[in-house]
Amino acid sequence: MSGELIVRAECSEKNAEIFVSGEIDIYNAQQFKEKIYQAVENSKGDVSIDCSGLNYLDSTGLGVFVGALKKAKQDDRNIHIVNIKDNIKKLFVITGLDKLFIIH
Amino acid sequence: MELNDKITLSLPCKAEYVSVARLTASGIAYRMGFDIDTVEDIKVAVSEVCSRLINVSRNNSGEYEIFYEINDNKLKVTFSSKIERAGCIFEDDEEGLGVAIIKAFMDEVEFCPDNKDYILSMTKYIEEKS
Repeated sequence: MSGELIVRAECSEKNAEIFVSGEIDIYNAQQFKEKIYQAVENSKGDVSIDCSGLNYLDSTGLGVFVGALKKAKQDDRNIHIVNIKDNIKKLFVITGLDKLFIIH
Repeated sequence: MELNDKITLSLPCKAEYVSVARLTASGIAYRMGFDIDTVEDIKVAVSEVCSRLINVSRNNSGEYEIFYEINDNKLKVTFSSKIERAGCIFEDDEEGLGVAIIKAFMDEVEFCPDNKDYILSMTKYIEEKS
């Protein structure tokens, strides 16, 4: 099903790359949170989240992104969001979160 | 004759069924002729309300209803529920992300109606094609 959330993380000491596909909503946001927080903890550098497969996001998922950014910022690290679809990017813009994340 | 169709969806207050609410919303919006971007907006707005309702419901028990009124020029979506804490579900979250998204995506939103038969309604107008 295209809605099923799949999160894959590739972490090195330097940085972490996370690949997200499917939908993030209230049902699976916790699963996404655990993966992304773990990636932030396991990496010493910036975290990149590839959203090319992400089809749906709402405020529940945005909250996870914000929480992960707060964790990263504790060590002066950034979260980069790459390959984001227009309808998903719109949410970051509407909520002003496009100013907090580095969106490529 | 003026179009005035009504569709009602009743769902348990459980996170696993919010995707069902989204599917219904997108199906109706698409059938009404909204463009794909607007269909996505309506989906998100509906999902935001559902998520909020589930968060305020105790032990995820109870049900809520989504009532769609389909007219020639607009779609009105009304939410009702008898769960204990339904009331004004965004009362303590007026500056939250969910409220910002709903206000941005829908043309009219009634957050805390005086009429206690429903807890929120929102409307999207069909744009006239030039």
